[in-house]
Amino acid sequence: MSALKVDDDRRRQHSSASVARHPAHRSVIGLWSRLSRFDRAVLVVFVLILIIAAIGPFVAPYPPTVADPLQRLVSPNRAHPFGTDENGIDVLSRLIAAPRIDVLIAVIATTLSVAIGAPLGVVAGYFEGADRRAMRWISEATLRLLDVIQAFPVFILAMVLVAIHGTGPVNVVFAVAFVNFPVFLRLVRSEILSLREHLYAEAAVALGNSELGVGFKHLLPNAWPTVLVQVSVTIGFAVLLTAGLSFVGAGVSPPTPELGAMIASGAKFMITGQWWVAMFPGLLLGLIVFTFAAMGDIVGKLMEPGQRAIPSRRLLSNARIAPAAQAEAAAPSAQDAVLSVRGLAIEASGCPPILDGVSFDLMPGEILGVVGLPGSGKSILVRAILRLLGHGLQRRAGHVFFRGKDLAELDEKTLRAIRGSEILPLLPNAKSQLNPLVRVGDLMVAHIRAHNRCSRREAHARAARMLGAIGIGDAEHWLAAYPHELSGGMAQRVCLAIALVHRPPLIIADEPTAGLDVTVQRQVLDLMIELCHQSGAAQVLATRELGIVAHYCHRVAVLDEGLIVEMGPVRDVLLAPRHAVTRRLIAAADLRAVSTAPTTNTSSKMVP
Amino acid sequence: MRTLKYVGRRLLVLVPQLFLISIVTFTLVRMLPGDPARLELGPLAPEEGVELLRHQLRLDEPLPQQYIAYLQRLLQGDFGRSWVNSSSVAQDLLVRAPATLELITAGMLIVLVIMVPIALLSASPSRGWLARATRRVSFGYGLLAGALPDFWLGLVLIFVFFSVLGWAPGPEGRLAILDLPPARVTGFYVVDALLAGNFDTFRSALSHLALPAVTLAFVYGGPIFKMVRASMEAALRSDYTIYAESLGLPRRTVLLWAMRNAAPPAVVVTGVVAGYLLGGAVLIETVFNLNGIGRYAVQSITTADYAPIQGFVLVAAAFTVMVNLIVDLLQFMIDPRFSARAS
Repeated sequence: MSALKVDDDRRRQHSSASVARHPAHRSVIGLWSRLSRFDRAVLVVFVLILIIAAIGPFVAPYPPTVADPLQRLVSPNRAHPFGTDENGIDVLSRLIAAPRIDVLIAVIATTLSVAIGAPLGVVAGYFEGADRRAMRWISEATLRLLDVIQAFPVFILAMVLVAIHGTGPVNVVFAVAFVNFPVFLRLVRSEILSLREHLYAEAAVALGNSELGVGFKHLLPNAWPTVLVQVSVTIGFAVLLTAGLSFVGAGVSPPTPELGAMIASGAKFMITGQWWVAMFPGLLLGLIVFTFAAMGDIVGKLMEPGQRAIPSRRLLSNARIAPAAQAEAAAPSAQDAVLSVRGLAIEASGCPPILDGVSFDLMPGEILGVVGLPGSGKSILVRAILRLLGHGLQRRAGHVFFRGKDLAELDEKTLRAIRGSEILPLLPNAKSQLNPLVRVGDLMVAHIRAHNRCSRREAHARAARMLGAIGIGDAEHWLAAYPHELSGGMAQRVCLAIALVHRPPLIIADEPTAGLDVTVQRQVLDLMIELCHQSGAAQVLATRELGIVAHYCHRVAVLDEGLIVEMGPVRDVLLAPRHAVTRRLIAAADLRAVSTAPTTNTSSKMVP
Repeated sequence: MRTLKYVGRRLLVLVPQLFLISIVTFTLVRMLPGDPARLELGPLAPEEGVELLRHQLRLDEPLPQQYIAYLQRLLQGDFGRSWVNSSSVAQDLLVRAPATLELITAGMLIVLVIMVPIALLSASPSRGWLARATRRVSFGYGLLAGALPDFWLGLVLIFVFFSVLGWAPGPEGRLAILDLPPARVTGFYVVDALLAGNFDTFRSALSHLALPAVTLAFVYGGPIFKMVRASMEAALRSDYTIYAESLGLPRRTVLLWAMRNAAPPAVVVTGVVAGYLLGGAVLIETVFNLNGIGRYAVQSITTADYAPIQGFVLVAAAFTVMVNLIVDLLQFMIDPRFSARAS
């Protein structure tokens, strides 16, 4: 296996230097170009380590095992750049010769671990899903036995195994292989368990192959990529383990050049000041272990097609959205609008804009539906209004005025005061919006107290009243509940209670009924609209479903690829659509209205 | 009530686990070539003595009886005798265990008090100088941790802080050669010296503990550090944190809640790491000449003294099983979803 890898890497190296004349090499160059500079450096070091491991003893400047009493403990100089050890042997030469045994032991031991662990893993994974009870029981017992084996600390287990069978490279190989095979067994087992759910596995069984045969022939090959990542990491650990064993005298013993033993022999000189004897072997050992671990990452990265570094989403830093590039469209908003969006443009750095020149006004108590196909920018618009862009998204131009104040210009503190008390979100999949480790009551109390000065008890009572007001009986029970105890509809009702508790002038809803079943959808929507109406809150309601818009909204804006292509009173837009997207949405809505929500009729039931 | 039930069930699992561990240690010695009685008495003992012990240990009986006899002796606290210094292994382990526990505790304290906060800070996307500095630190540490061998790192620390700077004592054990150990209460010299009000001894014990504990923390804190950082980052990026932000909750609350979410995976990894700690203690004790059970095991291996090895392996495995138990209980307490699944 390692030889294969060496080959592969050499080829990769070679081809990157040569011109891509052969089409076969092109994919290799493709791989190389997908690596970051850091990864390339790791790859080069990796190849160097393998080369040194292969030819080290033959290229060492001095013989690595011949003592020279006249040159004992010479500090680093020109002849001996890393000094000499207590026997007068050049440290550099020993360093060049030493990785061979460590890497060799680690590679052989890891190969052995895979050879034992992988087939057992297939069997364990296969037995675990078997129909026969006895088989499942065997699998379970194997895993419990592994638990016990793994309860013995790896290093101690290896140490004892070597102690029992005597020191020497062969016994170290067996010990290292033995302590590592459970890792592969578990890994392959879990891979098999998830892979056997796939259709092709079922198809292969249906075609008359035996399940175990399918496990080995079809599933195991698919598990290899994951295993390969682990192999690289394990080889690194195995090198460390081998060196550790040699360090305590339970591994490879001198005079064979070996890194752990070199450190052991240099230990006493560390105290007396001859640091070079032990220092360099340790650095090299660290480099080897690190390189193998990093290679695991790289292999993993290359195995996943199309996985490029995703710009990390920096939540809290949104506070610092870049100031608008141009002060275009900063025209004062309509006099008493709650929300005015002016020429808003959002882009991911370097990509075409996701929203472009979006403008609209929202009057108090008004409900504006924002519709569009999936991916048209609805959610981004909602997030932009809440100033919670994230995802490496940036506001490129435009403004969001809330009651005449430009939200982008507010400082962190003012923004926090407005968010949650005057602008409230209602987001899709309410269950995932609630922190799984925070009780509903704690969230509501914290939210109430964030915007009102009151005691914990008062806040609690108010939360209970609010839950009662939206028709949740037994409020105390639900306040003490954790989110996982709530149904999707209940979670969305809780979010609704949170949204309304401060009687905000503006609610921003994004697919508030996503993930709920149809009957609950209607209940939640009816409740939401009714309560908004009572408290006079204006609303932006982003949704895919025109039925909802027709039923609940005053005005509608149709969003297509980041542009508002049509906007107007619901009746006008729906009865006389001017844009193709609107027509498509209407066609789809009619279908859906027939199949799912019979009471929702596009033309008749409209809010005046 | 639910908690009690879970604890009870979890404790029940412990019994077969310990049982299996005793079987493994038993077979470990049977795997040895040669006669266990001879191994226990050493190569120098006379044949009559070996014969007598063989009979005492009931080694002349079939294997199952031998195992039962072994189990009986274990339950009586009899771990056999070391032939090198002819002392009781149980006694030896008991005397040395506090040194190892002190090292492990101190190392984990460093992880908890210094490294975990750094990990949490480096996960925060804030642009303050502190967050930026911790991000640098954590990047560098992430590269080094897990790659640097603990025994070598200990030596480097000795070289820098003892040989060059002279800030720390050399690898001479838990106290300076002339210091007397404090009266034994907990067995932790640092604690005992404080209890006895002996500040010189306290300072000496602490300074002797510092480098080994730092070594342990640096090497074995790596996975904990990475996990805390990764799970904190995930928590800060999650939907529920964004929602909490959009509700205008105080920043402190948002961060505290995210930390709550980061805790369960961190606890699991800490449990896994704790399983490796005894193995790590073996090497670190050897480097710093600490008279703990790890060094005892190494010495026993070099002298082929099997009773101590067997005893140590048993203790180490039991320790890991106990750590797993504590981890499971902690998870039960922290994570309501886990407790819902478990019960």
